[in-house]
Amino acid sequence: MASVLVVTEVNNGAIRESSLELVSFARKVAESSGREVKSLVIGSGVDGIAGEFAGKGGGETLVVDSADAANYNVDVYKKAILAGVEAAGADLVLISNTPQGWDVAPRIAAALDCAFVSDCTNVEASGSSTTFTRRVFNGKLDAQLSVEGTAVASVQPGATEPFAGSADGSTTALDADVSGARAKFVEIKQSESTGIDLTKADVVVSGGRGVGDPDKFAEVIQPLADALGGAMGASRPVVDAGWLPHAHQVGSSGQVVTPKLYVAAGISGAIQHLVGMKGSNFIVAINKDADAPIFEIADVGVVADLFEIVPALTEAANAAKG
Amino acid sequence: MKVMVCLKQVPHQDARLDVNADGTWIQDGNIKFEINSYDTYALEEALKIKDAGEADVVVVSIGPDRVTQALRTALGMGADRAIHVKDDDADLSDTLGCAKILAAIAKEENPDIVFTGFMSDDGNFSAVAPMLAELLDLPSATGVLSVEVGDSLKCERELEGGALEVVELPKPCLAAIQTGANQVRYASLKGIMQAKKKPVDVKTMADLGVSDAGAGAVKAKIEKVYVPPKGDSAEILSGSTDEIVGQLVTKIKELGVL
Repeated sequence: MASVLVVTEVNNGAIRESSLELVSFARKVAESSGREVKSLVIGSGVDGIAGEFAGKGGGETLVVDSADAANYNVDVYKKAILAGVEAAGADLVLISNTPQGWDVAPRIAAALDCAFVSDCTNVEASGSSTTFTRRVFNGKLDAQLSVEGTAVASVQPGATEPFAGSADGSTTALDADVSGARAKFVEIKQSESTGIDLTKADVVVSGGRGVGDPDKFAEVIQPLADALGGAMGASRPVVDAGWLPHAHQVGSSGQVVTPKLYVAAGISGAIQHLVGMKGSNFIVAINKDADAPIFEIADVGVVADLFEIVPALTEAANAAKG
Repeated sequence: MKVMVCLKQVPHQDARLDVNADGTWIQDGNIKFEINSYDTYALEEALKIKDAGEADVVVVSIGPDRVTQALRTALGMGADRAIHVKDDDADLSDTLGCAKILAAIAKEENPDIVFTGFMSDDGNFSAVAPMLAELLDLPSATGVLSVEVGDSLKCERELEGGALEVVELPKPCLAAIQTGANQVRYASLKGIMQAKKKPVDVKTMADLGVSDAGAGAVKAKIEKVYVPPKGDSAEILSGSTDEIVGQLVTKIKELGVL
């Protein structure tokens, strides 16, 4: 029987929750396509957590336990995954789309000369045919892709609920040769404290590319943040352009915020930004483009020029405070 | 030292995107194109190496006639030569097909370093760079925010929440550059004038001896693209600016913020 292989990710001695999300997809796909769910755990000293994972839905869990795999290394992980795919007899490989996943997953597809689909939000299978849903054009459109035969897919973290049940599982040590790495892990640098902690703010007012000009952040965005007693955030393109320091960035590569009120002005809503603010209690989006993805996630939207709405709202907020 | 930079030309970020007649991609006849944002940072990393000493920077792109513009811009910014894979069938390749075409070029060029952007603004796959590295049997790093060139290439990879992973790659190697890695230069007028004399080699898949790319080799087929379903989307406020602001203030007061 062919199998769907869940490639787990170990972080700080534990298996990431996104790996259990892969199990949810794997179980669904296994049922509809007659595959078996198998998993792969790569790391150093991971026998214990692999055993736990096997019982949480991971099924037959292959373990590559090697001192070489103590830290993520593209060469080591590639060899370990290819060995896992072969041992599992897998023709569908699921990997979380994380900094590890996006680094190694396409290499697996190239090595297997098979289909690759990244950052999927849904996976469905029927027989040998698999259908994947994902965003394109930075979230402006969705795409559905189909694959006949072997596929490697990376899955967007949070795309589904983690599998929360238990199931029979077992672990099998895999004697994979993962030596000979060329890439050399040096260190992880944690982000430096910046003095701007957006995560503690009750209100975050963020500006995006639509603000158009670095000076306009001080003139238009900051005053609304001040009027609402909040902090100023920004989307990635603003920080990339050097308009504001990285400390203001909200998103998967910046800060993840959950304020009472989040105001997004001139932000279209690329997934990397949405990940950083979708947990906010109440979201107001102001954007000229009625089709901007930010409106899908907002509670209230205003389709208008932010330079008309934001200064007027600032004035009204200041007036309301008396 | 030779540095190869892979560029993709993509719809301009502000272009209006309409789904094409058969619903499998966008209508690209009447929109503006630009160099993929990630790739401009990749090119800048290569040009920084050139600025610091001896480096031959060759830019490579796959696409129709319009791609000439992107390559001319790159040459204007300071690249030395360009290779344009102009081949209707090559344009229909999926990510692995593109990687195979680029691998064929890299095998002819033998670069010490290959830079690509981390992702394309159209397909958003983030796939071609690691695939290319695999096909060339090169060490690689993705999501790279800074590189230090010595005997090896020391890369800082962006992780989540602002953390960085430092990894050292022996050359030859490949790095996929993240946006914000540097300040991308503009093409100067002098650069643009000089670019007109710089060579652009035009090649087809047949010239490169690549047969397993193009439409026939697509493994992940795009069945349809569509505007994401709106579902549980925002309540859109309407009225004059004053009316809208009034409604917003009411909602904000309900939250206890004001």
